[in-house]
Amino acid sequence: MTKALSVIVAFVVVGLVSAGAAGADEAPIAGTVKAIDASAQTLTLQTTAKGKTRDVTIVLKPDSKIVKFVRATEPGKTGFVEQPLTVADLKPGWVVSVTAKHEGGNEVAEIVKVVLEK
Amino acid sequence: MRAKLVTSLAVALLVLLAGLWLVHPPASRANGERDEEKGGHAHVPAPLEYADVHVPLSVWTDPAMIALGKEIYATRCAVCHGDAGDGKGPAGLALPLKPPDFRNKDGVAEMRDNYWFWRVSEGGQVEPFKGKGSAMPPWKGQLAVEERWAVMAYQHTFSGHQGPHVTWEHPESVAVGRDIYAMACVMCHGVEGKGDGSVGPMLSRRRAPQPRDFTSAEFKFRSTPSGHLPTTADLLRTVTEGVRSAGGPMTIGLRGHRIMPSFGHMPKEQRLEVIEYVKSLNRGFWERPGIKTVAVPAPPPFTPERLARGRQLYADAECSACHGERGRGDGPSAPTLKDNRNLPIAAADLTKPERFKNGGRPEDVYRTLMTGLAGTPMPSYADSLEPDQAWDLVFYVLSLSRGGRTAQAGTR
Repeated sequence: MTKALSVIVAFVVVGLVSAGAAGADEAPIAGTVKAIDASAQTLTLQTTAKGKTRDVTIVLKPDSKIVKFVRATEPGKTGFVEQPLTVADLKPGWVVSVTAKHEGGNEVAEIVKVVLEK
Repeated sequence: MRAKLVTSLAVALLVLLAGLWLVHPPASRANGERDEEKGGHAHVPAPLEYADVHVPLSVWTDPAMIALGKEIYATRCAVCHGDAGDGKGPAGLALPLKPPDFRNKDGVAEMRDNYWFWRVSEGGQVEPFKGKGSAMPPWKGQLAVEERWAVMAYQHTFSGHQGPHVTWEHPESVAVGRDIYAMACVMCHGVEGKGDGSVGPMLSRRRAPQPRDFTSAEFKFRSTPSGHLPTTADLLRTVTEGVRSAGGPMTIGLRGHRIMPSFGHMPKEQRLEVIEYVKSLNRGFWERPGIKTVAVPAPPPFTPERLARGRQLYADAECSACHGERGRGDGPSAPTLKDNRNLPIAAADLTKPERFKNGGRPEDVYRTLMTGLAGTPMPSYADSLEPDQAWDLVFYVLSLSRGGRTAQAGTR
């Protein structure tokens, strides 16, 4: 009885902790592009959270995707499709949303989605 | 015994973890908040610069406007808000603060038209939305007013509501103000805002002033021309500062002989909510084509010459007929004055600017001269006085409280 209960508690604790960690990693960071360093492959975003504005540096890896959404042009399709971009296409002032992972003290982009081009 | 102890500890641990989970959600680097899906779109009152922008009623159902709105929406909004208005556009899905679902009838019904216009115009660049991390761009620089109205009209179609999006179609949009009104205003202004509350007549029995009838077109304290409805800022000023009175037993306890108390202690957001409710009682606020206000220019320096010119204007405009030679409200016409309800009304005692109903500061007196007090014998002098002359008269009126010697600022 005691053993079974201990196992249940252990599962619950592990589940909660891992769910929390997963939630933290998958949450997007949205903000305005403040600076782009193509040589260092980094983006600096100005973000606001809970009333505080801060700069977040996003590291881009070779497998990081950058996309914007455009209207489908194929006949019969009406929605949006992803259009791949490179870091050189990004411009300061654009609003982007980044799904990133925390690796080695850095925010490493998995995908950068352009929300608004200015 | 031991099993019980372990069970108790396990339950306690689970409760503790659940509590921690609720109080401190998992650490996130995201700039959204966990309650964004609802709270992030809190429908706070629009600021004063937007509060009077009410969308013309015909816009909401005009097929041409809806078609224009659809075109703009498809190119500018759908990427976040979704083609179906469900807030699930591909870019919107990527945002920490999700766009609202325009198909949500209740959520749309709570949005007042001026709030909606403010949101489309300023986007997430203003508080409280900026602080919540809203990525909504401001469209005021790219879309004309009519284009923004058109987009709103199209967005409104997603909710399934057929008529114009106005407060009397959606009473829930003024529910907060209605509750405040029920607690703070109904006694004097009445259930329907007609100025017929139970306490009202006791304030000054069979005499003016009586509580304002919000359903009529006559509002005394305005920055708008004679015969026009006031601005939201005018209403806020009256609610905040209250209305002075010449005194009387029913004003004892209302600081400074106020016949209407000051609600300056009430949070501004709540004052604006109750004003939105008051406006909802009068469709005229939605039917006026535009708002003109009487600008109050900066006062010129006071000089004895100005005072002398003001004295002459006081005589020429026959102010003394009601207010008396020395401004004590005892002119020959004073006993015969009546308001538009045919109730006797006293001429203001100009020697007591602290009791002027529309305020006793120089700018208040200027505004009163140029707008008049609708529904009372006090006319507007906007057509007969140049701004400079009005200031001369203001200086003279304010000098009456000090025996005509000076014209320093009065107090509210």
